[in-house]
Amino acid sequence: MNRRQLLTGPYLFWSVSFILIPLVLIVYYGLTSAEGGFTLENLAKITTPENLKALGLSLLLAFICTVICLLLAYPLAMILSSSGVSRSSFIVLIFILPMWMNFLLRTLAWQTLLEKNGVINMLLSFLHLPELDIINTPYAIVLGMVYDFLPFMVLPIYNVLVKLDRDMVNAARDLGANGVQTFLQIILPQSIPGVISGITMVFVPAMTSFVISDLLGGGKILLIGNVIEQTFKQGNNWNLGSGLSLVLMIFVIASMGIVNKYDKDEAGGTF
Amino acid sequence: MKKAARKIYLGLILVLLYAPIVTLIVLSFNQSKTRARWGGFTLQWYRSLFGNEQIMNAFYTTLIIALLSAFIATVIGTLACIGMQAMNRRVRGLFLSVANIPMVNPEIVTAVSLMLIFIALRIGLGFETILISHITFNIPYVILSVMPKLRQTQRSTYEAALDLGASPVYAFWRVVFPDIVPGVLSGFLLAFTMSLDDFVITHFTKGPGIDTLSTKIYAEVRKGIKPEIYALSTLLFVSVLLLLILVNYSPEPKEGAVKQTVTKAARIKVLVLRRILPAAMAVLLTAGGIYYGSKGNFTGADTVIVYNWGEYMDPAVLDLFEEETGIQVVYEEFETNESMYPKIKAGAIAYDVVCPSDYMIQRMIQEDLLSEINFDNIPNLKNIGETYLEKSQAFDEQNRYSVPYCWGTVGILYNKKLVDEPIDSWSVLWDEKYADSILMQDSVRDAFAVALCYLGYSLNSTDLDELTAARDLLMEQKPLVQAYVVDQVRDKMIGNEAALGVIYSGEAIYTQSSNPDLEYVIPKEGTNIWIDSWVIPKNAQHKENAEKFINFLCRPDIALMNFEYITYSTPNTAARELIEDEALKNSLVAFPTDEMLKNCTAFQYLGDEMDAVYLDFWNQVKSR
Repeated sequence: MNRRQLLTGPYLFWSVSFILIPLVLIVYYGLTSAEGGFTLENLAKITTPENLKALGLSLLLAFICTVICLLLAYPLAMILSSSGVSRSSFIVLIFILPMWMNFLLRTLAWQTLLEKNGVINMLLSFLHLPELDIINTPYAIVLGMVYDFLPFMVLPIYNVLVKLDRDMVNAARDLGANGVQTFLQIILPQSIPGVISGITMVFVPAMTSFVISDLLGGGKILLIGNVIEQTFKQGNNWNLGSGLSLVLMIFVIASMGIVNKYDKDEAGGTF
Repeated sequence: MKKAARKIYLGLILVLLYAPIVTLIVLSFNQSKTRARWGGFTLQWYRSLFGNEQIMNAFYTTLIIALLSAFIATVIGTLACIGMQAMNRRVRGLFLSVANIPMVNPEIVTAVSLMLIFIALRIGLGFETILISHITFNIPYVILSVMPKLRQTQRSTYEAALDLGASPVYAFWRVVFPDIVPGVLSGFLLAFTMSLDDFVITHFTKGPGIDTLSTKIYAEVRKGIKPEIYALSTLLFVSVLLLLILVNYSPEPKEGAVKQTVTKAARIKVLVLRRILPAAMAVLLTAGGIYYGSKGNFTGADTVIVYNWGEYMDPAVLDLFEEETGIQVVYEEFETNESMYPKIKAGAIAYDVVCPSDYMIQRMIQEDLLSEINFDNIPNLKNIGETYLEKSQAFDEQNRYSVPYCWGTVGILYNKKLVDEPIDSWSVLWDEKYADSILMQDSVRDAFAVALCYLGYSLNSTDLDELTAARDLLMEQKPLVQAYVVDQVRDKMIGNEAALGVIYSGEAIYTQSSNPDLEYVIPKEGTNIWIDSWVIPKNAQHKENAEKFINFLCRPDIALMNFEYITYSTPNTAARELIEDEALKNSLVAFPTDEMLKNCTAFQYLGDEMDAVYLDFWNQVKSR
């Protein structure tokens, strides 16, 4: 078995040089002042009312976005996984395909769609329906996030579902379980690893994004990502920026820790 | 019934996913250059796309980096997953949390930390550093895709294979690997896609003369996206779509006994559709890459490295310069002073000539980042109006470090159809009549300048009481503001989205030409007058070329070309004389009278501490 562990070698080298050492740099910056002395001031900055509000709002929006993505993606993944094998790869690609148009362009396109005189409102007024007025509000940000991150929820769940042992499902049905029971007791528990991956892949970028809130929130809604970006770019204060990033990381890791508690990792590995 | 519901659900999701894509495709056929107006159908952007070397080069760089980084990340990530599976739970948990770090970290932090490492290791920023960074953030996606698959594999089958005498490696390849292939593939695809889409990390780790599509687009956002970019995205999208349809919907060769009955014609059809066409596309792509790659080769030649604002120079000017002097121009763009500054400060790239704004030049002089220009090499300086050199003394006391390139004011652009009163004061931005129709600048100093001027204070104020008053005023204004924007005032005003917007005078000329209802005014309380000037950094490697370049730009005919292309006011009085359009030549927007400018002040660098105060106050406004 030890020979197999050696396979992690390249990865180990890579993550030490390009993940861990840079991280040490961030910690170093976060815990020192511009003059170089040790300080906790940068970390404490998170407690100012505007930063706390930004952090809270980011958590809230990321949470809502993750829930919506999960609710949309799970049935989608089930539909995709139950369709024939030969076509499923095509369908999955259809969901990745939009991502091949640059992300900045797609977000800008939502602006064109959602604006007051935008495409959607032109359609609605043509049909004599009430106008949709969500541009420059948190709703537009959530929409943009869901749009951008949905594929990251669909793919991992799909990947797990497609491998699901059909015989188990059939056996459950034969033994008299109804559709709901089969789902809750057979399908759902087995798909948890995929769901966890999906939640990670959606929650984390949603929590830290700043471009979407800039473009669709009209710059009126400050998320923690915006605060950090501004501190680095406009304020040029790497110490404070690093300090705030450290706090954000702690929050994200803590949230993911809670999620991972539900991830029942079968002890000892699966093969 | 159930089937219908599934189809409807799939359909709705597809509409959600594809609405923006369709929008972008439609925009690629839009004759008008702004996204806010439909100007009629055209194919011209597709034609000009292939002549645009910058975009095509960026496109190929993007593709190569995406492919290489996805491939390497997939190999490293998959190996790591297999290895981790053999570890005990605790160690594996540790490994997995390390893998998550790049995903957990805000992108900008990863970006900055990687840049710091490259500088510390003295790896010159360029293609390799982008590649390394992309591999770094791609690995977690691969691990996240492969790990769940690996967990699902049945240990019993693997053990059965061992019991039947297979070696562990053989058993792995025959039993386990086929099971995880979908995960590996989707990991590769995800990695490829993430790399294609990345902006922030590329931005910080790239060197001069190399661009990916994202960085190119971002630099262009300020002045509006070039329609060629839409055309390229559409082409890319359509070709991938076609490829997928070909591979998936061509007739499948039948299994077993039926195989013999398949006609020769059908077999050829399959061969063509599934093999030859995709291969032809790949060849086409590679050939294109080599073609554009060879054109973009500038090693060894006499060069000058230029760092300028996005869309801030007529590309034809660069061609002319190369032709006349034989000096190769390596051209780089930035989108704000603040994103340019750390790159110069870090010294990772030795730019030869840079175009920052007034207050930033002052800061760079103070921090000894600039070298004095040898004005013997710039005889064309005589074309620059005396007033502009005088104004420059606010940030460059003796005119030793900078040569003015463009200048302008910050004022109010309003829509005459939506505003029927004459406007001459900032006060209109606090008028409740225009609630939700006001666009404010989303940059600290510009926003505070508006409030400070309105209150009658200096826009370089460092007095905390004055700043507090300005902050409160901005807070009071926030409910009336439709959006805080930098780049999109232009498109939004053209599209009649808002009645009033705070905008740079140079943008005003362009927007007026697209929407004649728009009017620009310099408020009577005064405003910011800004100057963007050419400077030469201390660590420039080709100082003489830089001076030749600046001299070239000061030539009247060249300055005129640039003025007509970017529509920002030129300080080049000789060039102004050459303007043929009398209306433009005498335009009070492009060339306001001294009387109009009497209350206008240039920004000054207020020091790190004051900057922090401004930013703090601004965050308080934004988070209200």
